[in-house]
Amino acid sequence: MYQGLSTNQAPPISVPFRFFLTAPIFGILIGLLVFTSSPQTILNQYSHTTIGLVHLFTLGVLSMIIIGALQQMLPVLASAVIKKPLLFANIIHTSLTLGTLCLSGGFIYSQKYLLIAGAILLSIALTMFFFTIIKLLFKVKYLTSTVSAMKIFSIAGLITIILGLYLSGSHIGDNIGSLHYIFVDSHILFGIFGFATIIIMGVAFQVIPMFYVAPDLPQYIQTKFPRIILGMLILFLIFSLLQLDIFGIKVVFALALSLFAIYSIKSLNNRRRPVFDVTLWYWKISLISLILSMWLYIYYSNHLILPILIGFGFLYPILQGMIYKIVPFLSWFHLNSKGYFIIPTLREFIKEDNIKVQLYIYLSSVFSFVLSVLLSEIFLYIGAGLFIVSNILLLINIAVAAKKYHQISLTDPMAAFK
Amino acid sequence: MTVLSSHMRADHRACDDEFANMENVVAEGNWDKASEVFENFASDLNHHFDMEEDVMFPAFEARGAGHCNPTPVMIMEHTQMRNVLKQMREDIKSQNKDHFFGLSETLMMTIQQHNMKEEQMMYPMIDESLAHEGQMLLDEMKAYPRKDHK
Repeated sequence: MYQGLSTNQAPPISVPFRFFLTAPIFGILIGLLVFTSSPQTILNQYSHTTIGLVHLFTLGVLSMIIIGALQQMLPVLASAVIKKPLLFANIIHTSLTLGTLCLSGGFIYSQKYLLIAGAILLSIALTMFFFTIIKLLFKVKYLTSTVSAMKIFSIAGLITIILGLYLSGSHIGDNIGSLHYIFVDSHILFGIFGFATIIIMGVAFQVIPMFYVAPDLPQYIQTKFPRIILGMLILFLIFSLLQLDIFGIKVVFALALSLFAIYSIKSLNNRRRPVFDVTLWYWKISLISLILSMWLYIYYSNHLILPILIGFGFLYPILQGMIYKIVPFLSWFHLNSKGYFIIPTLREFIKEDNIKVQLYIYLSSVFSFVLSVLLSEIFLYIGAGLFIVSNILLLINIAVAAKKYHQISLTDPMAAFK
Repeated sequence: MTVLSSHMRADHRACDDEFANMENVVAEGNWDKASEVFENFASDLNHHFDMEEDVMFPAFEARGAGHCNPTPVMIMEHTQMRNVLKQMREDIKSQNKDHFFGLSETLMMTIQQHNMKEEQMMYPMIDESLAHEGQMLLDEMKAYPRKDHK
C-alpha cells in the first residue's frame, strides 16, 4: 500500500532512459524514409509506405516515450509499482522496438512475414504493458484526476491495440472487408485521442502545476474531459457503423481539446516562477498546434496538414519537453539518493542552448513539412533533412545527460569528503 | 477529517509562493534583499519539515504505519532538500546567479515530486490513521518552535 512512496521502488534509471534514447532513433529512420521515398507516395495517406511511416512514428517515437515515462511516473503519480521493473522493461522495450520495425517494414516492403512478426511482437509488448497497468491502476486507493485519466488511457489503449490487431489480420489475410475503413478511422481516433491525448492531458494535470508552479487546471476539465473523450470515441465507432453523421462528435472533440489547450496555456502564462524555461516553448507550441489542428479537423479532416500538425506539431514537441525535464531530474535524483554530494544542477545536465538549437531545427522541419503540402514537394526533402538533424540533436542531448550520470556513478560518492 | 492534510497542503502552496518570490528577487539581482527572502523561505521550508519529522510522522508511526513504512523515505528526501538549500545559501553569498538558478530548479523539482507523493498518498493515509487526534496534532505542529538549520 505504501510502496509507491519509496524511491527504492522506482525503476532503475536505465528503464526510462532506454526508451527515451530509442525514440529519436526512430525519428531519424522516419526522416530517412521520407528522404528516400517519392513525394507522391509519402503524401498519399493510404499508401503502404505512409502506413509504415505512421507506425514508425506512433509506435517507435510516441508510444516509446509514453511507455518509458509511465514506468517512471506510475510509482510517483499513482503509487503503482511494477514488479521486476528491469525484466518488464527489457521485454517491452525489445518487443516494441523489434515489433515496430517488423510491422513498418512489412508495410513498406510489402512482406507478410514481417507483418506477422510485427503483429506478434507488438501484441506481446502492448498487451503486457496495458494489462499490467490496468491491474495496477484499478487497485489505486486514493484517486486523483491523473489516475482517473490514466485508467481511461489504458482502456482506450487496449481498444486501439485490438483494432490494430484486427486491421493487421486483414492485411495479412488480404481480407479487406466493407467495414475496413471504419475500423481504420476508429483505430486512428482511439490512438490519437484516446491513447496519446488522454495520457498527455492526465499527465498535464499534474505536471503543469508541478514543473512550472502554475495554477491547477479547472476541476471540470480534470474530471470530466477524459471521460467525455472516451465517450465520444465509443459514439464515433457506433455512429460510423450505423452510417450516421459524425459532425457533432467532431465538434465535441474540437471544443473539449481546444478548451484543455487554452486553459493549459493560461495556466502556464500565470506560472509563479519567473525564470526562463525553454521547455515551456515545447508545451506552448504543442498546445497551439492542438488548437489549430482541432479547428482544421472539424472542416478539413482529410487535409494533409492535419496529421502533420497533430503528430509533429502537437504530440511530439510536448513529449520532447517532458524528456528535457525528466532526464536531468532523474540523473540528479538517482545520484543524490546514492549519496553523491557534488552533482551538476539540472541545468548543467543538458545545456539550455543545446535544447534551443534542437527546438529551432525541429520547428523548421515542421514548417517545411507544412510547406510541402501547401507550396512545393521540395520542402518534403528539406523537412526530412531538418527532422533527421533535430532527432540526432535530441538523441545527443539525452545521451550527454546519461553519460554525465554514468561517469559520476562510477566514482566514489565519499570522494568529496576525503 | 482532513484538518492535517488541508493545513499541510496550504503550507506547501505558501512555500511555493515564497520560493517564486525569492527567485524574482534574485533574478532582479537585488542580493541584499535576496539573502533576506531566502532565509525566510529556508526557515519556513525547514519548519514544515520539522513539523512532519518531529510531530506528524512519529504520531503516524505510533498508530502503525505498516510494514512498508514510508516515513524514512520522506525524511531522506527532506535531507536532500536541506542539502540543496545549504548550497543555495552559498550561491547567494557569492552572488552566483547562474548556479543559483540551476540549484533552484533542482530544488523546485525535488520539492514538487515530494509534495505530490505526500499530498496524494501520505496525507490521505495520515488523515485516515489520525482522524481523532487531527486537530490536537495540528495545534501542536503550529506551535512547534523553529530550529536553526544553518
